[in-house]
Amino acid sequence: MGKITGFLEYERLEEGYEPVDKRLKSYREFVIGLKEDEARIQSARCMDCGTPFCNSGCPVNNIIPDFNDLVYRDDWRNAIDVLHSTNNFPEFTGRICPAPCEAACTLNVNDDPVGIKSIEHAIIDRAWNEGWVVPQPPSSKTGRSVAVVGSGPAGLAAAQQLARAGHKVTVFEKNDRIGGLLRYGIPDFKMEKSHIDRRVEQMEAEGVAFRTGVLIGALAGDGKITNWARETVAAEQLTQDFDAVLLAGGAEQPRDLPAPGRELDGIHFAMEFLPQQNKVTAGDKLKGQITASGKHVIVIGGGDTGSDCVGTSNRHGAVSVTQFELLPMPPEHENKALTWPYWPYKLRTSSSHEEGCEREFAISTKEFMGEKGKVTAIKTVRVEFKDGKMIEVPGSEQILKADLVLLAMGFVSPVASVLEAFGVDKDARGNAKATTEATGGYLTNVDKVFGAGDMRRGQSLVVWAIREGRQAARAIDEFLMGSSALPR
Amino acid sequence: MYPLNWGSQGVEAKLASLCAEAVDALKSGHNILIITDRRLNREHVAIPALLALSAIHQHLVREGLRTTAGLVVETGSARETHHFAVLAGFGAEAVHPYLALETLTAMHAELPGDLSAEKAIYNYIKAIGKGLSKIMSKMGISTYMSYCGAQIFEAIGLKPELVEKYFSGTATQIGGIGVFEVAEEAVRLHKAAFGNDPVLARMLDAGGEYAWRTRGEEHMWTPDAIAKLQHSARSGKFETYKEYAQIINDQSRRHMTLRGLFEFRLDPARAIPLDQVEPASAIVKRFATGAMSLGSISTEAHSTLAVAMNRIGGKSNTGEGGEDKNRYRNELRGIPIAQGTKVSEVIGADVVEADYELQAGDSLRSRIKQVASGRFGVTTEYLVSADQVQIKMAQGAKPGEGGQLPGGKVSDYIGKLRHSVPGVGLISPPPHHDIYSIEDLAQLIHDLKNVASTASISVKLVSEVGVGTVAAGVAKAKADHVVIAGHDGGTGASPWSSIKHAGTPWELGLAETQQTLVLNRLRGRIRVQADGQMKTGRDVVIAGLLGADEVGFATAPLVAEGCIMMRKCHLNTCPVGVATQDPVLRRKFQGRPEHVVNFFFFVAEEARQIMAQLGIRKFDDLIGRADLLDTRKGIEHWKARGLDFSRLLHQPDAPAEVARYQVELQDHGLDRALDVKLIEKARPALEKGEKVRIMQDARNVNRTVGAMLSGELIRHHPDGLADNTVFVQMEGTGGQSFGAFLARGITLYLIGDANDYTGKGLSGGRVVVRPSLDFRGDAAKNIIVGNTVLYGATEGEAFFRGVAGERFAVRLSGASAVVEGTGDHGCEYMTGGTVVVLGKTGRNFAAGMSGGIAYVFDEDGQFSKRCNQTMVALERMLPAAEQTATQDPAIFHCGQTDEVQLRRLIEDHYRWTGSLRAREILDHWEASLSRFLKVFPHEYRRALGELNARNETAATIAKARESDKPTVKA
Ligand SMILES: Cc1cc2nc3c(=O)[nH]c(=O)nc-3n(C[C@H](O)[C@H](O)[C@H](O)COP(=O)(O)OP(=O)(O)OC[C@H]3O[C@@H](n4cnc5c(N)ncnc54)[C@H](O)[C@@H]3O)c2cc1C
Ligand code: SF4
Ligand code: SF4
Repeated sequence: MGKITGFLEYERLEEGYEPVDKRLKSYREFVIGLKEDEARIQSARCMDCGTPFCNSGCPVNNIIPDFNDLVYRDDWRNAIDVLHSTNNFPEFTGRICPAPCEAACTLNVNDDPVGIKSIEHAIIDRAWNEGWVVPQPPSSKTGRSVAVVGSGPAGLAAAQQLARAGHKVTVFEKNDRIGGLLRYGIPDFKMEKSHIDRRVEQMEAEGVAFRTGVLIGALAGDGKITNWARETVAAEQLTQDFDAVLLAGGAEQPRDLPAPGRELDGIHFAMEFLPQQNKVTAGDKLKGQITASGKHVIVIGGGDTGSDCVGTSNRHGAVSVTQFELLPMPPEHENKALTWPYWPYKLRTSSSHEEGCEREFAISTKEFMGEKGKVTAIKTVRVEFKDGKMIEVPGSEQILKADLVLLAMGFVSPVASVLEAFGVDKDARGNAKATTEATGGYLTNVDKVFGAGDMRRGQSLVVWAIREGRQAARAIDEFLMGSSALPR
Repeated sequence: MYPLNWGSQGVEAKLASLCAEAVDALKSGHNILIITDRRLNREHVAIPALLALSAIHQHLVREGLRTTAGLVVETGSARETHHFAVLAGFGAEAVHPYLALETLTAMHAELPGDLSAEKAIYNYIKAIGKGLSKIMSKMGISTYMSYCGAQIFEAIGLKPELVEKYFSGTATQIGGIGVFEVAEEAVRLHKAAFGNDPVLARMLDAGGEYAWRTRGEEHMWTPDAIAKLQHSARSGKFETYKEYAQIINDQSRRHMTLRGLFEFRLDPARAIPLDQVEPASAIVKRFATGAMSLGSISTEAHSTLAVAMNRIGGKSNTGEGGEDKNRYRNELRGIPIAQGTKVSEVIGADVVEADYELQAGDSLRSRIKQVASGRFGVTTEYLVSADQVQIKMAQGAKPGEGGQLPGGKVSDYIGKLRHSVPGVGLISPPPHHDIYSIEDLAQLIHDLKNVASTASISVKLVSEVGVGTVAAGVAKAKADHVVIAGHDGGTGASPWSSIKHAGTPWELGLAETQQTLVLNRLRGRIRVQADGQMKTGRDVVIAGLLGADEVGFATAPLVAEGCIMMRKCHLNTCPVGVATQDPVLRRKFQGRPEHVVNFFFFVAEEARQIMAQLGIRKFDDLIGRADLLDTRKGIEHWKARGLDFSRLLHQPDAPAEVARYQVELQDHGLDRALDVKLIEKARPALEKGEKVRIMQDARNVNRTVGAMLSGELIRHHPDGLADNTVFVQMEGTGGQSFGAFLARGITLYLIGDANDYTGKGLSGGRVVVRPSLDFRGDAAKNIIVGNTVLYGATEGEAFFRGVAGERFAVRLSGASAVVEGTGDHGCEYMTGGTVVVLGKTGRNFAAGMSGGIAYVFDEDGQFSKRCNQTMVALERMLPAAEQTATQDPAIFHCGQTDEVQLRRLIEDHYRWTGSLRAREILDHWEASLSRFLKVFPHEYRRALGELNARNETAATIAKARESDKPTVKA
């Protein structure tokens, strides 16, 4: 354990941010990670709990008290090993994980939790700098092959685990770059894409083959789903060519807002808007990029995707940015006695909000209004909730100026046509149907076809995707070899 | 070792050939055999060292060769004391834990404290040695030689055939795994070690035997279980509780407890509607909280439990270590707590950090008062305030081992309650110095019943083989109540080498107790409580079915109060203020009585639901109905398959009219006590505080004289009466426990002599014993009182003109005594008070003494040889003037110079007993003084100094406490 009385002596220190005016000028990361000695002091706050709630609060079950202790003792080399033993990509989670571990941390009961995420961040950044992250190719090959469909965190984690277990892994991605939403979703200012490139390089050295621009199965739809595929491979082909297939295509079907005027120009899904910027940031040329520059922007949807739209709009140079949330404003502080160690429902203010944004709660969109086929305003109404039912407040209609409307109301499900191409059964929410049981988990109704990540569990988090990828890898390994030494 | 590819099936052949090889080796003239697993490698798996050892040991015994051989075990598997103990117990003359030693060599540099490898190894060996002697002492074995091969173990979860063949003579009650499963376990471990699990490539398994890790060993208290329990207790939502119970009952089913392997025999035809089952409010009255002392948990946590238990009509337990008078005095006087009274208004703002308002009629009194070997704070008033007095014979989790409270946790307040010095660590070693036989226990029960005549007397036993017989003895010794405390540890599903505790699960002990008591027709006279890791209604029902009238809970109500199983209790850094004495942390305590009340009602509600399914209306009808339990069908775990519960679930063969649960009260014979007369005669004193003088013959059939009188007096006058208000003069021989728990205001003046336990638990009264007028010998050379005199005395005075037997003033914590000589072990474990010995002492004087002072007249100049100076210093007596001039008054005992105190006590002794020895000493005071030695415990000296320093800096500290985070900011 670190320092027995550390938590009494030291206060929590948050990671620093660059000032707003400076960070708005670029798409680069603006979080300033903890310095090594700061991280050590922060890890000294860890009490090495007998029942470390953080450990079960973290979806990949990072062995947090152990790496905290190692950091405290200045043993970073072993700290990264402990961290990597449960998490393939700490540089992703150390940046963009909402850190449910910290909500669960015992110190959070009546104090500020240990800054677990910032410590994780510090460990992995140091590890990369020191050159400690090196390929770990398998000592022997199994001769079995696995196709991974989708290169988001779920697919990547699974691919890495499977390759290390000696399987021949090929990752298929319909878009032109690897990474899933990490690449084309999450803005660069939250996570620069070089982190993905480094991992891809490592994984290639471990034997993973990547094929971008290849769509597997079919993609029905209205072209609103990002698809930069150059070729298509049929589902049957894949099941024929590989000993096992993992579907990790995410949950890309966005939720729409069928209000009058929806067909007007200037109304876009967040996932049309955000990927374009990521592409441009990557140096690609793009014709007709959706831009917020000089516009009054309204973002509909109060979640993280909405936040990313806010941050990106501000960087474009929007005149005003307003974010709508249907639900009333959540309480500023949770009642920890009844929420800890679980993820509490409370008002969260993101770094993008701090950069300038009006937030409207309990508001609903009645109509999009426009001129010459272009959106110019939104008609809204205030809403109230009584016994779980939403009612409009009479006479509260309001018209707000809007040149760009971004729909960020989450995702309904995976794209159905992809699952259908494989004949995979869907659950009630349209996700690929498979359990997470230790035996027979992640396997769909179709022989040798597995599912993981958002495609199986629905819209979720990067850290959950990594967990699912790892666990699915174990299931596949077991399926192929009869038993598996991969951790769950 | 044998080739891995033989698999687990290969183990028997290898064991057989090992045994044969051993015989050959001995016959060819070797006499030391080394059993080693050092050469294990990827292809060769090691047989568990214990199995190999025991197989060879037993084989050699059978062949009559054992005494010609020395067995040495060289193994990588021995790490913890328990491992060594088991190896020794099954015949290892020597053990070489090479891997542990190599590990230390490899890591010594990283260990704190600048250790050399040699020093690290030295420390390790020393620690193991200490642990072993602790284990041996608690088993009553004094040499390694007699421990070696003594097999004082019970196997849990091993097949009888396996035990018969390789561990013959060891008890195994419920069957379990065979030799192949043991080998399978070894093979699996081997494969994990040599496998290519990437996680384990460069680090060890996260483990989790002692602390929880998601991938580690399973624990009952998972984070989810803790969270759900707390949320349900705080919100009052039964649904949330059911989620909790589901997790626990499921876990329990996942083979972590014996009861997890049971199932109810449900018969839909028998089920009754829920409303026909007695209400939850009746069931919760059967609940008690465990003996958690104030000291191990905070005042806030402790008193909150008490309030909660009193609200539901259950019982909370003081634990060892006394109780603040403020928690019960008003209640005993009939002054109820009013609505809105704050906890701090009851027990004082200076001792409460997290305050809240109470309800009308609340009570902070712990209904169960514990009496442990340490006897800390066991005063007459303490006992009188009890509904139940619990004699702690052993503590479930560490049977045979006493409790320990580190000095850091002995705050001023705790010290006050325990009548000990703040800052001085307190040990309660296993033995009660007044219980060496069942007769002694009967005597203690009698003593306690006399003082606390309205309380029931309970004896807490630990579940182990033979506990049924002990419980029957306890019932015959007139205990009203018995607790069967289990440990909760491994079953057949844990690797058997990892069953780390002594003692057995309560399921075993309880079933045995029930069966024995019913067979002997004793069950109706005694109430039975089961205790140990009880968490849910299911546990409660199973306890009932196996024979419990009542159920004790410890951890679960603490969790309901906010405990989050930090397992950091010993560090005093509990962040939720439950198990700490640190005021800053205690301020964070958020538990409230209603949380605990909610929890217990939920448990009872769950129990009711099961009772309804079983068709049982009243809990009484449930008790002992083991026939309603069934072994779970299809016990799936590969290691659990061989378990056999038929003995556990056996129904004793007794006629229907024999009681299966408690129906009658014990006859303690109190109405025949001499004290009944004394009380009658003392009425004017008891009622009006008038002085009374009583003359009475003393006969040794009258046991425990003065105790009932004291109890009665304290009920009327909690602070006692003025000195000598009741003066009882007696002549003859005092029976056992003469003057036990004598209260302030009473003097027992005995002319004659007295038996064992005179002045036991003295609580402010005075006991004087002087020889009969006909006695012509030299009083200073003759025994006048028996053994174990003044054991646990907290206050008062005793003058004995003559020599006392063994163990004089053991655990004395506050009284003053003068005696003219003692037997062996005088003043052992003394924590406070003053003892004057005017003559020769026996051996081992002052062993374990941590407080108080003894002044010994060193007649022959040999005292230093008879005194155990491990914890004390012997000092020359200084004349008062010299002491004042040369010593810091801070370390004066009782704030006075030694000479003043000593002289006063000897003068009193003379006055009370007419002692010639005292006269002589006083007549030649200066010369005598220089022959006295002062026995001064090191700990006491240190604490006196610190106490003083603390007082001086109190102001500074108070300032520092104003801010929660006093030190460095990052
Ligand atoms: C804007 C935005 C911001 C977010 N911010 C965060 C955050 O800060 N923190 C966080 O933890 N989570 C965040 N999330 C959620 C997180 O990104 C996802 O939960 C996670 O990426 C899911 O991982 P996945 O591997 O299951 O799927 P995805 O990351 O969605 O990857 C699926 C990949 O599969 C490809 N694919 C799909 N179908 C096919 C096919 N038929 N053939 C070939 N390729 C196919 C897709 O092109 C895509 O690249 C955010 C999500 C969004 C939309
Ligand atoms: S991955 Fe997320 S939840 Fe897990 S430790 Fe890191 S920040 Fe916490
Ligand atoms: S819960 Fe918090 S304090 Fe406890 S081990 Fe985890 S990080 Fe450390």
